[in-house]
Amino acid sequence: MTVQTITAEAVADAPRGQPDRRMRGERPTGPLLPRILIFVVLIVIAIIYIYPFIIDVSTSFKSESEAANNPLGIIPQIWTTAAYERLFFSSDFPTWFFNSAVVTLTVTAGRVFFDSLAGYALARLQFRGRSLIFAGLIAVMAVPSVVLLIPKFLVINQIGIYNSYTGLIVPLLADAAGVFIMKNFFESIPVSIEEQARVDGAGTFRIFWSVVLPMARPALITIIILSFQGSWNELAHFIIAAQDPGLTTLTKGVAQLSSGQLSQGSQFPLKLAAGAIMTIPVAIVFFVFQRRILNASAGAVKE
Amino acid sequence: MNKKRALGVLAAAAVAASLAACSGSGFGGGDSTQNSTAPLNILIGSSGDAETKAVESAVKAWSDKSGIEATVTVASDLNQQLAQGFSSGNPPDVFYMSADQFSGYAANGSLLAYGDDLANKDDFYPSLVSSFTFDGKFYCAPKDFSTLQLIINTDLWTAAGLTDADIPKTWDDLTAVATKLTSGTTTGLVIGGEYARVGAFMTQAGGNLMNDDSTQATADTPENLAALDYVKANLTSGVFKYAADVGAGWGGEAFGKQLGAMTIEGNWITGAMTNDYPDVKYKVAELPEGPAGKGTLAFTNCWGVAADSGNTEGALDLVAQLTSTDDQLAFSKAFGVMPSIQSAADQWTSENPALEPFLLGAAYAKGVPTAQGAADVVSDFNSQVAQLKTGDPKAILTSTQANLEALLK
Amino acid sequence: MTATAVPRRKRSALRRGQAISGWLFTAPILVILGLFLLVPVLMAAWVSVSDWSGRGSPLSPNVNFVGGENYAELLAGGGLAERDFGMSLKNNLWYVLLVVPIQTAVALSLALLVNRKFLRGRGFFRTAYYFPSVTSSVAITVLWLFLFSTTGAVNQLLSYIGITGPNWFNDPSGIFHFGIEQGPPLLTDNTALGVSWWDWIGGPSVAMSAFIIMAVFTTSGTFMLLFLAGLQHLSEDVEEAAMVDGANPWQRFWRVTLPQLRATLFTVITLGLIGAWQVFDQIYTGTRGNPAKTTLTPAYLSYSSAFINQEWAQGAAIAFILFAIIIAFTIFQRWVLRERAVSKRRMRWLNVKTPKARSSR
Repeated sequence: MTVQTITAEAVADAPRGQPDRRMRGERPTGPLLPRILIFVVLIVIAIIYIYPFIIDVSTSFKSESEAANNPLGIIPQIWTTAAYERLFFSSDFPTWFFNSAVVTLTVTAGRVFFDSLAGYALARLQFRGRSLIFAGLIAVMAVPSVVLLIPKFLVINQIGIYNSYTGLIVPLLADAAGVFIMKNFFESIPVSIEEQARVDGAGTFRIFWSVVLPMARPALITIIILSFQGSWNELAHFIIAAQDPGLTTLTKGVAQLSSGQLSQGSQFPLKLAAGAIMTIPVAIVFFVFQRRILNASAGAVKE
Repeated sequence: MNKKRALGVLAAAAVAASLAACSGSGFGGGDSTQNSTAPLNILIGSSGDAETKAVESAVKAWSDKSGIEATVTVASDLNQQLAQGFSSGNPPDVFYMSADQFSGYAANGSLLAYGDDLANKDDFYPSLVSSFTFDGKFYCAPKDFSTLQLIINTDLWTAAGLTDADIPKTWDDLTAVATKLTSGTTTGLVIGGEYARVGAFMTQAGGNLMNDDSTQATADTPENLAALDYVKANLTSGVFKYAADVGAGWGGEAFGKQLGAMTIEGNWITGAMTNDYPDVKYKVAELPEGPAGKGTLAFTNCWGVAADSGNTEGALDLVAQLTSTDDQLAFSKAFGVMPSIQSAADQWTSENPALEPFLLGAAYAKGVPTAQGAADVVSDFNSQVAQLKTGDPKAILTSTQANLEALLK
Repeated sequence: MTATAVPRRKRSALRRGQAISGWLFTAPILVILGLFLLVPVLMAAWVSVSDWSGRGSPLSPNVNFVGGENYAELLAGGGLAERDFGMSLKNNLWYVLLVVPIQTAVALSLALLVNRKFLRGRGFFRTAYYFPSVTSSVAITVLWLFLFSTTGAVNQLLSYIGITGPNWFNDPSGIFHFGIEQGPPLLTDNTALGVSWWDWIGGPSVAMSAFIIMAVFTTSGTFMLLFLAGLQHLSEDVEEAAMVDGANPWQRFWRVTLPQLRATLFTVITLGLIGAWQVFDQIYTGTRGNPAKTTLTPAYLSYSSAFINQEWAQGAAIAFILFAIIIAFTIFQRWVLRERAVSKRRMRWLNVKTPKARSSR
């Protein structure tokens, strides 16, 4: 998740005011052929990137034999919803979806709240130990998650939240990168606004909650996007945090489906249908917020 | 900065120490308080819907009779869930325990050794009992067993001009028949590329990975080499294939999709064929004899009971019920396995005449290695045998021998 | 509004209030991070030097300290544990060596292409290239298993140009063996970490290569965004100056653009390294180490040793060795990419006017 975070930061930090030739009214000069060539290359690459997902959706509507005989075809010869029926009625897929939704929404809300609290404290509040915490956060971000696989399981056991929603949700609230994003953002807010509020008699929490936080919307949206994606797509933590089948999430369920749970055949339409459905929520979040995620030069270049 | 880091580490160590202080009681010892009406959790590794339903109804019947609540859970990865259950101090009360994982759990005290207390303990087949004996104690009741035999697609069989007289009796017969049956997309014999299938040939040649009570490693022997050479020759000529190479998940799937005219599978194939491939007609025949005569592998699980179960009395009562003749025969009917008690053999044969070869196999079947840690070695063997076509059988056996010997030290 | 106007007593009260708030505000994050990041690392360290067998608490008095025994077993034990570990290292090493450069190059190329000012539909391209990165690795792995199956889309595409595609996820032969089945005895008989030299130089297996392609597919979009952001920071003047000095596009890229992207490059490569050394999700969902253990990775081995084979101490030891490897690689690449003063000879070769020369014009 650090990757996504750093990307989000970099993208947010990119300068927006770059003057552009087109803005200044000049036409782009240069030979036409290379430009067309580049355009064609980009289109081909885009097809390569998008086509697998189209295959995913279309195969989910094919029968197993057609999936094996005609893997590249986009339009199924015989449309069948057998895979979806099996998925929704003969497996625990609805439970998985529900669990994923619960965990993701709670984790996102939790991270938004706790990260902004801590970020504000590190940005604005003066207290001893602040730099210690800061250093600690950096140190903790350096630990690769694979090292934590086994011991997190042990700790979750020890404190008794194994096999419960608490065990699924609470460890995922640990998000040092999010604290950094909020801290960086809060530092960019002019101090005078807070000073004004303090003079007016507001307490620290009041200042944070009613004055500064509403102004932090861009950063909060970033955290929301990252948390949503991170917790929806998380796998390793869900493997170790619970074993009750009623607590299985989408990622864990589909992963186990892929290694052959619902009987031992290679039922591709079924698995691809599961994969397609589990991609839909993150895809929606992505498309809704894509301008924020992708738009590095919002004001400068017209698309 | 360094001092502050050190402070941080110290603080963390303090937290860890306090966790240690309060952890000692939370594990292992705490819940041995017995309550003979406490609900039971049963964890099974099911081969399909048929098995799940059968176990659920048997457990429910017992639950109604005894008044103790019992829940059956189907594991998606039995070994992982058991390991996690035990290490989290929260294991199921009753569970499937396979012969190759058994010794590990027996060794670290996770299992209750109740076998010697069973009323029907003399009725179990001796070979099954020895699979579940550790350190001289009979730990758990075998719940059923299966053997491998040859499954033949009768339609493809007659289409190739073969009759009952052609059912292979020797290895050469098998090769000849497989050659005749190989045409188009169908291969004569398609099996899983693992010890649990190729091992049948090893027993027919007179060998096996370990000896009968798993006290000696016998992987690197001329007998096993003969078996692997035989399989490799047929893989190379194309009359045998591995299921993965034809795009199937297991031999049964290849057989059901008619990518293979024959396969080597155990009793569980009956359920899969009925559910997933009902149009394929098949018959079960005894595997051919190898240089040392007839041979096959037997697979068995037992009903493990957790040593930390909160209701051992209820668990044992449940197990006694589940290993009774009636329940075992009901399981047989549902998913084809054979009862683990000898007294039910005759009735089973009369109820399942077509499956008789499986039971005949009980007389000459060998078990899988049960030494502690053997499962890991077997999976390493599997990863090598899966590449048998291009691999070196002697090298495979030598390395497996070394690995097995390392377990016995 | 200045603070000096506030009387002293009020200021210290303010300070105290801030201190309390400060700790209160950071407390939840601290507790969670401490509990679920810091303590686990310490506990794993303990387990890796103990003989905990999986039952009961690892901090109970029955568990003994065994020193480096688990580590020795993995690095020099001579048995299955060492061979599995060696195999997993070999697989992951090749994965890293191929994935990181390729995904960096692809991401950079895409960024350069998409960054053209004349480009219409830039938003569409960015969306298309970035979309795979938002999907879950589980969903992509499942899709990949289908695309690269024996009768899958990729093999069908290859058949259109006359190539019979391999049985991707079931083929354990190393791609740098080029089909040679038996290596020379010198290489096959000698081993390092239980794996023969022949296998070490064989590269990733065909199955692992499918995963490598998948990694490039899913991460190039993210890094493309990073490069795009980095490119936006570049001022045009330097590029124009280089053009004026007569550098062709190739030279402009290598001598002007790329050095300025050093920081972004460093970030991308570091993140790529850290991510590539921790391959787990794809293996758990897809092949679980098969075929022939050529898709086994240390992260998955750590998990399977502990959770499936009940070798908890060994699993923890593997995780820490992996930690050390990641740090080593990160430090190494930091050293490689460090800022170096350009020697005068190089500057002359580049035909770059030194500042003194320029000011004298």
